[in-house]
This record gives sequence, C-alpha cells and structure tokens, in this order.
Amino acid sequence: MKIVFYLHLHQPWRLARFRYLDLGSGRSYFDLDRNLGIFRGIAERCYRPAMDRLLRALEGHPEFRVSLSITGTFVEQARLAAPDVIERVRALYRTGRVALVAETFYHSLAFLLPPPELAEEVAMHRELLRSEFGASPKVLRMTELAYSDDLARFAEAERFQGMLAEGWEGVLRGQPPTYRYCAAPAPTVRLLLRHYPLSDDVGFRFSSTSWSEYPLTTEKYVHWIARTPGELVGLFMDFETFGEHHSARSGILEFLSALPDAARREPGLEWASVEEAIQGDPRAPLSVPYTMSWADQNRDLGAWLGNDLQRSAFEAVKKVGVVVRQAADSAILEDWRKLLTSDHFYYMYVSGHGADQGVHQYFSSYDSPYDAYANYMNALTDLRRRALERLGVPILK
Amino acid sequence: MVGWEWPPSHTGGLGVHCFEICKELTRLGHQITFLTPFAGPFTPVDGVTFRFPGESRPGPGPQYPTAYWSGGTADSPFSDAIDGYNHWIRTLDGIDGVDVVHVHDWFGTIGASAVATKLRRPLVMTVHSTEYDRSLGHPWQHILDKELIGIRAATRVIAVSAHLRQQLIDRYSADPKKVRVIYNAVRPSDRLASIGSEKRVVLYVGRLAVMKGVDTFLRAAARVAPIIPDALFVIAGEGPEYGRLVELSAALGIGDRVMFLGKVSDEEREILLSGSSVFVLPSVVEPFGIAALEAMAAGLPTIVSKTSGVAEISSGIFRVDFWDVEEFASRMAELLEYPTLRRTMGEQGRWEALREGWPERARETVAIYEEAIEAYGSRA
Repeated sequence: MKIVFYLHLHQPWRLARFRYLDLGSGRSYFDLDRNLGIFRGIAERCYRPAMDRLLRALEGHPEFRVSLSITGTFVEQARLAAPDVIERVRALYRTGRVALVAETFYHSLAFLLPPPELAEEVAMHRELLRSEFGASPKVLRMTELAYSDDLARFAEAERFQGMLAEGWEGVLRGQPPTYRYCAAPAPTVRLLLRHYPLSDDVGFRFSSTSWSEYPLTTEKYVHWIARTPGELVGLFMDFETFGEHHSARSGILEFLSALPDAARREPGLEWASVEEAIQGDPRAPLSVPYTMSWADQNRDLGAWLGNDLQRSAFEAVKKVGVVVRQAADSAILEDWRKLLTSDHFYYMYVSGHGADQGVHQYFSSYDSPYDAYANYMNALTDLRRRALERLGVPILK
Repeated sequence: MVGWEWPPSHTGGLGVHCFEICKELTRLGHQITFLTPFAGPFTPVDGVTFRFPGESRPGPGPQYPTAYWSGGTADSPFSDAIDGYNHWIRTLDGIDGVDVVHVHDWFGTIGASAVATKLRRPLVMTVHSTEYDRSLGHPWQHILDKELIGIRAATRVIAVSAHLRQQLIDRYSADPKKVRVIYNAVRPSDRLASIGSEKRVVLYVGRLAVMKGVDTFLRAAARVAPIIPDALFVIAGEGPEYGRLVELSAALGIGDRVMFLGKVSDEEREILLSGSSVFVLPSVVEPFGIAALEAMAAGLPTIVSKTSGVAEISSGIFRVDFWDVEEFASRMAELLEYPTLRRTMGEQGRWEALREGWPERARETVAIYEEAIEAYGSRA
C-alpha cells in the first residue's frame, strides 16, 4: 500500500469592514494588518514547527514523501508576514521528495466563470511555482478539491497528467477509492482520490476526546492504513491540521514526526508523491458529470453556493467581472480576483443547524453570514464603480 | 405575583410580560393572584385573580402615572404611591395556599419580601431592567434600595438577558448561583412583513426616552438620506424626548424624511411592521428589547445595539455599538440596497424569534419556582 500524503496551504485575503458609507472612499477592501497578524500567528503555531518536523522526517527517512499545494494568496502573505515560511517550503522542495501541486492563484471559484479566467489563474499559479520554487507541477487540484468531467477536460487541455479528487461513494459506485483512476472524458488525466475516513481521522477527529478511537497513535493509524485493501491511500488534508486546527497540546506535531517511523515498521507500507502515484495504469475511468468537492456532508458546492446569499454574491461578482475585464486596469483586476477567493463565500454559509455550521463558524471571521454578505457586497459595489469610472461611464447617485 | 401594570393599560414591556407569562402559567395548571396598584380595567385571564388597593370599595383607584421615571423627587407623590402600594401588600389578608411569591422589578419588593417571610414561602424576583440603566447612571437611591431588597430577599432572581444577569452580579452583588436568565418572547403575528417589495421604510418603535438612543437613529438617517433618496424614516412612540428629537431632525436637514407617528396601538404597530423594510433599535441601554423581537417575528430585518438582550438570542440580526452612527447608517443602507440580504435576514430572524415562545418561557419559570421551593425548604 502506497501512502499519498498531501497537504494544502492557503490563507485568504480577508476583507476589512468596508461599510456602505465607505463606497467611493478609496479605502482598501482588505485588512492588511489583520491578515498578516493572523498569518504570523499560524506561522508560529503551525507552519514553522510542522515544516521543520517534515524536513527532519525527510532527512531521516529517504522513503518518505510529501505533496504540497500552496496558493498565491498564501505566498503573497508569507512574503510580507513570514518570509522564512517560504524558505522552509523551498528547503522541503529541495529534498527532491516533495511534489508541488498546481491550482488557481487565488484559491478561487474561477472554475465556475466563463473562460479565460480559470486558465489565466492557473497560469499565474504555475508561474509562481516556477519563480518561487523552480517547480513545474504535473498534477492539478481545484479549489476545495472541486472536480468534474469538465475540469478533467480543462486539465488535459492544460497538459496536466493528474488531478486530485474526493473519494466519494457517489461517483465510485462500489469501487474502492484506493486505486489510481482516470478521467472518463480525458483518459490521460489520472485521478488520485482522497480516502476521507482515514484523512478525517487525522484532520477532524484527532483531538476529539469523545471519539471512540481517541487517542490516535501512529501505530494504530498505520495499521489501519496497512489493512485497507487497495494500492494507494490518499491522505489529503489542510496543512493547518498540524498545530492550528489541532493545537500543539493535542500531540498532533509529535504524531506528524512519528508517522514515517511508524510506517517503516509496519510491513507493506510505502510512500508516494502525487507525481509518483499518477504513474501506472488506471484501474478504471471515472465519470463525474457534476462538480463535487471535499467539503461538508454532501461533498458538493453547497458550502459556497448553497444559499441565496452565496448565489446572489457569486452572480454579482460574475457580472462585475465583465466590466472589470473591460476596464483593463491591473489593480482593479487584482482586487476582483481576490474577491473570487472561495473563503468569502464560505463565510456566507447559513444552515442554522447540523454539524457543518460549527465547522463554518470556526473558519469565519464574521459575526454572522449576513455580515459577511453585506461587507462583500459593499466591496464589490465599490469595485464596480471603480471599473465604470475607469471606463468613463457616468455613475448614477 | 406582585406586579405593576396589566393590559390593556401599559407603557412598557413589563405589563405584556406579566400578562403572557400568567396566561401560560395558568395553562400549565397554576393559579395566580396578581397584585397591582391600579384598579383596572384588566384584560381577564382564567385562573388569574386581580387584587388592588381599594378593591372592596367602588370608585376609581389611584391616578395612573404615565411615566414613573419622569417623576420629580424622591418624596414626590409618586414615591408616596409606591410606599402605599407596599404597605397595602404587607397588610393584605386572604392570600392562602401560596407556593411562591413572584415580584417583578422594584415597585413591590418591600411588600413582596414581607409577604414571603410571613407566609414562609420563597421569593422569586424577575428583573426587567435596573435603575442604573433607566437613569443612565444617575440612579435614585430609594429605587436602588428597593431593587436591592428584592435581590437580597429572593431565593432565585430571573434576569431577561445574560447581559442583565451580569449587571446584577457586578452592580448589585447578586449571588451568581441564584440568578437565572429567561428571555422574553413574542406571539406570532398574522401580518408578515412583505420585505421582498420595493418599500424603503426604516422603522423605530418604542418610547422616546434618552436611553433608547433615538438621536442615533436620526443621525444615521441623515447619513443615509442623501445616498438613498427614496428612503423614509418612521418613528412610532411617545416620550419625554419627543420635542428634542423633532428639533434634531430639522437641524439635521431631514425634517421632510422623518415621520413621527406618536403612540400607536398594537394593531397599528403590526401594520407598520408589515409595511417597513428595516427595523432599528439603537438603545444605549436595552435589557431585552422586545420591540426588536416583535419586528423579527414579523419577518423584518433588524439592527440592534450590541448591548441589547435580544442580540443574545439571534444570529439573524445586525449588532452595532450604540454610539456608532456610521455603522448604523451603513447597516440601514445595506439592508435597503441588497434585497437578498433583507429577505434572508428577515426569514432567519422570524424563525429565531418564534423558535421558542411564551409557553417555553412559562415552563422555564416553573422550573425556577421548583428550584426556589427546594432551595428554600433545605434552608429552613
């Protein structure tokens, strides 16, 4: 059994409180200090200690492999808040046993917009990985692990050899998630699937004292992996799992350090980067006619576009995109793209009940989804005005 | 139950609260003797017996004060009326079979605690607001004393919000172990706000008193008025600030955009709620804020000050610092300008306002009676 251990690094440009009365004021939509403050805190608790541990693990275990995706907004903030975090990623990449994964620069919902937005953002991100790390990734992941047949066709057109997706029963139809698949409409694109029970054991349940398997030891965990039938197991999770979502007190960092050793002692376990794991014949083609994701109970786009607030905001940002493109102003385009970041829509989630609301509140920087929506719409309305002004269109009011 | 007002005559939320809670308590099989200084008329409720000074004699009762907080000095006739009320309670005959003495606010605490002692029954006190808040930090000592008498004598104290509970602990040294929170509730209204429509009315309903922050409402309105030219601002209610507020709206240059409706009936209020787009309760001090809950129950998106008790029970509401005129103005404009926001917030607010009602509050009250009886028994 090969372990594909993939971690996702992302921080959004959170909005400042941009009041309706701030329209036309020229104030920035984004709260630089707050974003960098948050970044520094997470760097201290998570990025630095976890990356140092990964580096030591790679040095001591030639067989160990890690795959990372790093959004453009993460790199932008790291440059300003904690440049040493980028240095650490470089050191990891230099071991030759860390693969970097392509995605949109802005961790955006560009895949739901008309072309050429998605291609441009993926190109921006490819350029970032080349210039910062000297990497040219072969595998693509979409924001929140979104995947569909259309996205596979896009990956093929962009000459990617693999994509990551959720190992969801709904599309596997009885087949195990522990094999390499290929995209039905684009067979050159190999699919690596997230094993969500094993991934969530660490990502969600690790520090839950009410969990029957608490505490999770590395021995127990690698044993579960080893006795899982199949060829590869995708452990895909947020990098912030290690020290942020689960605090250092939970023992999660020690768990990370001990994982390669434990895997070495468990017979039949190997590691593979995403680029190694896509090599070889696929077990079967998979067809996914709708867009699935790795979020919430339904694994769809409900977390971002499930309610009226979210759909209304998305329709609005889509519409503003038309004038933004016409305005052809790089600052306006950049702000618009920062507003496409999926996190803004996630903050507008309302369910009122159920397990998912708790998860959403944890990640939200707002008092309520209504706050998030109003603030977002103010920024967008202001951006639209700027674009129209640039185009010389007189603004009513 | 030692009360004050009872519908149909009431100036604040206290009378409504007593009426609703008594109604539900009788539905649960309890019998209530309701003491009030006023001679009625009383909206009847089966199972509630009304007792008031001079009840055996025909003729009018004491003068009904319209606004007790505007009274002159500590030894004014109003103060005499309070003393008379308490004296009457203390000497009242013919109340037998009482399990709990329940007093609301400070008016009858002296009499209520004396009756509780005489009957050897626990005293429960509900605090709807405090003298510190009503006086904006300039309390009458004799009222504070009466509040303290009740809080000290009560086996259990009920506060209408967590914010108020904390105040009772901090300012009145109430024992945290005996203070519980029971929120107010509203009944569902038949009229629903039609918030999808294009009306542009921002509404305030409540007394025109300093602590209600209506001047913040007007200052925010003055910021919104030029940006949203068809927005109209409606103020329903009466009170000592009326003249000053009318002058302020003129000075702000929005005299033509603000309507002062004066006191409105329950039915008129429902019509107003259903015809508006946004409800604002900008109180400097608001132990609960039942007006906001009524607006939410009608499906009206609502903006309240952060310290309002009602803010504690809803996420479908905008919370603003009471002094932040710009933020109040922005929230008004956002709700007026973004129909999806208006509609979804209205729906969520309605759901939250009606999720629990007076029946739940009555059950919570009974649970506190039982607690009080047990605690009182084990003490004796």
